[in-house]
This record gives sequence, structure tokens and C-alpha cells, in this order.
Amino acid sequence: MKLNEIIEKLSLKVLTNLEDKDITGVYISDMLSDVMSKAGAGNIWVTIQSHKNIIAAANLIDIAAIIISQGTDIPEETIELANRYNVVLLGSDDSTFVLGGKLYQIGIA
Amino acid sequence: MQTQKCKHQWEMVNTNPGFILTEACHKCSQVSTYFSREDNPPFEEYRDGEHFWNVMASAQSVRFDLKCKLCNTLVTFDELSSLLLCTGCKKDCDVYRLMEKYSGKRIWFYVAFGFKPYADKLMLSDEKIKILEDYYNQRRDSTNSSIKIVSFEMIDDPDSCAGEFIIDSSMLLLAPPEKK
Ligand SMILES: [Zn+2]
Ligand SMILES: [Zn+2]
Repeated sequence: MKLNEIIEKLSLKVLTNLEDKDITGVYISDMLSDVMSKAGAGNIWVTIQSHKNIIAAANLIDIAAIIISQGTDIPEETIELANRYNVVLLGSDDSTFVLGGKLYQIGIA
Repeated sequence: MQTQKCKHQWEMVNTNPGFILTEACHKCSQVSTYFSREDNPPFEEYRDGEHFWNVMASAQSVRFDLKCKLCNTLVTFDELSSLLLCTGCKKDCDVYRLMEKYSGKRIWFYVAFGFKPYADKLMLSDEKIKILEDYYNQRRDSTNSSIKIVSFEMIDDPDSCAGEFIIDSSMLLLAPPEKK
């Protein structure tokens, strides 16, 4: 499935420059150390973390996009860093749990 | 250790969650960092020879080794404390200069940090750093971008680097982080 299709189906807010990509799966964690050891390239990463170091972890393993859940406030510096490293940042008011369910429902989990 | 003919295909093995503890000695101000599997760091000051250590911060982290799926070569990464994304914070830094040389090629620079005090602890060899870089590039879809990992020893004053550490320090912070 393509990222654009997921953004549309889940009504996600696009917070950075957007590059459409193939999505290989979903990884849910609030731990950067989990992401750097277990997430896969092309995954969508769902987290409530919004500190700019999420970009360092996402970029390392080529995460396709980060969805920041629960309507978390996202600092401007996180968005700036994401744009610099071509990491797509998306926002959602849904909880991580609900987002996980929706992603599963549309068939990509 | 190296089987010359094998085109190693690395996978992460022996992953162990734990904590990177930062301690400072109140006598000499030396800072020491180390990895601990325990989630109950010593909160009381303790003496170790000349030093009187106090825990300053604790960050969740993960230790791992890399193993080649083809030839079973195992490489340990006990010397690695964390990886940092270089954000080009200082124009006169050698890492920044190297990054500039590659600019436009979508190569992202990461810096492998060792444990403190740097002078006393074993540092990752260049060979291991290259293996770590190969591992992450194999794991990525490297068709339109790749990463390069260099040693923190390229940075004149690693403590003043303002890049982004991949570390879960916000989770269990005991004290304010060191000033960047
Ligand atoms: Zn091999
Ligand atoms: Zn001391």
C-alpha cells in the first residue's frame, strides 16, 4: 500500500514535505532503542514521542513515515529536522491503540 | 574474525534491553558512563578507589551483537554507547567537513560514541564501525540514500556536539541532561 492512500484513509495531518512511498508494515513503540533494533525499512512508525531525536532513529533505518498519535504537540524543531532528513511526519488525534486498529483494518499491519 | 570471501549479511542478535547510566565523581568531577542490565541503579553515592560516584542520569538503551547469516561470524558491540545523527552543529568539525564532501548524495552521517571516560575505556575499532554501517545499510532500502557511520574520535570536543543521540533519555531521567 502507498503512503498517500493511508494518509487519506486515516485522515492524517501532513506536517512535513511528503514523498509517496510503498509501506512495508507498521511498527508501534515509544522507545527509540526498540526502533533502532527491530523496526523495518519502509515501516510506518506510530509513537507519542515528539522530541527531535525520533528523526535520528527513523532516518537510521529508513522509516517511511512517523505518525505522532494522541494529538501530541510537535515542536517546530522536530518538523525542521524531519524536513532536513526527508523523514515524513504525520499527526493524528487518535490514540496509538486506535491508530493500530485502523491500520490493521485497512490491511497493512 | 573475517572470512575474506563472505559477503556478510548481518543480523542483530543477543539484543538485551538495559540502561546507560551516567555517573559523576564529586571529588574529581570525572564522568563515567556504562551499560547496566539492572533497572535499579545505585542511587546512593558509592566509593570506587579514589572516586565517589553519584548517578546523574539513566537512559533506556539496548545492547546487541551482529552475526553474519552466511558464515556465522559474530561481532560484539560492547564498546558502543550510542549512535548520534550528525546535524552539522559546528562548521569546523571534521565530521561536518566529511559530510559536506558527500553533500547532495543523500548520505546521512551518524557518529558512534563510546563510554566515558573515553581515555580509559575500549573504543569501537574502525572495522566494527564499518560492520555496523554495513548492517544498517543492508537493513535500509538503500536505493536512494545510505548512511555512513564514523567514530566520535573525529570530533574535537565530543561533549559539546549538539547532534541527536538515539537514546531514550526522556523515559527515566534522574537529573537534568548535561548541557549541550
Ligand atoms: Zn559472513
Ligand atoms: Zn574521582
